[in-house]
Amino acid sequence: MLSAQERAQITQVWDLIAGHEAQFGAELLLRLFTVYPSTKGYFPHLSACQDAAQLLSHGQRMLAAVGAAVQHMDNLRAALSPLADLHALVLRVDPANFPLLIQCFQVVLASHLQDEFTVEMQAAWDKFLTSVSTVLTSKYR
Amino acid sequence: MSNFTAEDKAAITSLWAKVNVEDAGGETLGRLLVVYPWTQRFFDSFGSLSSPSAIMGNPKVKAHGAKVLTSLGEAIKNLDDLKGTFGQLSELHCDKLHVDPENFRLLGNVLVTVLAIHHGKEFTPEVQASWQKMVAGVASALGSRYH
Repeated sequence: MLSAQERAQITQVWDLIAGHEAQFGAELLLRLFTVYPSTKGYFPHLSACQDAAQLLSHGQRMLAAVGAAVQHMDNLRAALSPLADLHALVLRVDPANFPLLIQCFQVVLASHLQDEFTVEMQAAWDKFLTSVSTVLTSKYR
Repeated sequence: MSNFTAEDKAAITSLWAKVNVEDAGGETLGRLLVVYPWTQRFFDSFGSLSSPSAIMGNPKVKAHGAKVLTSLGEAIKNLDDLKGTFGQLSELHCDKLHVDPENFRLLGNVLVTVLAIHHGKEFTPEVQASWQKMVAGVASALGSRYH
């Protein structure tokens, strides 16, 4: 459950990302592949050539989904249901990978926002992204 | 165990030279206690941890954070023998402090975010990779003598 302050922190940070989903998403993926090479297996074409256009395109898609989650943070299960199906039936990303993506997300936020990335923002986003990943893996079995 | 390349070592040592251990230490431990509140379980004697500002301003948190990062600084001088460097501390954390080694991984990850805050774009994916390798190596070394 998110408190009112946490919701405010989440929205505040999202407002800084909105409009730049592709750029943030591409950097997120690049960090993921560089820091945690084992994750590349889930993105075979993308991680092999690391074509900038494809990273931007896929990054955009991923961050757009995060944006949708922000819009519906009070009802993530319903909002993310199709994505939960996709992850359970098609993608089948091992749940252990979500904390790795979350760490890279935090680093993207931290390196862009720097001193503006308050401890409250970091806490709220960690909680929020963890909830998102719980929902995305909720139909695995 | 972790093999640090010449690039890893350069990224780690050059960034470390710019770190203010006092400030970064307090910041790192403080953020750990706020973002992962269950880690407060080890710090009952630290006084007020009742809010983010109480935690970040707590002098005991700052002092202890500085102590932890000072120790990390020693490790950076001995990247090729982290297990040796942290042997005694590993025993201490197991036998006396009873700290779940998962906490070392959490702290390391928080340190990486603090470094990203301070260094912005300079904290490239490659630099992050070297540092994640570093903190993973430290966490592993600290857990290595648990029994």
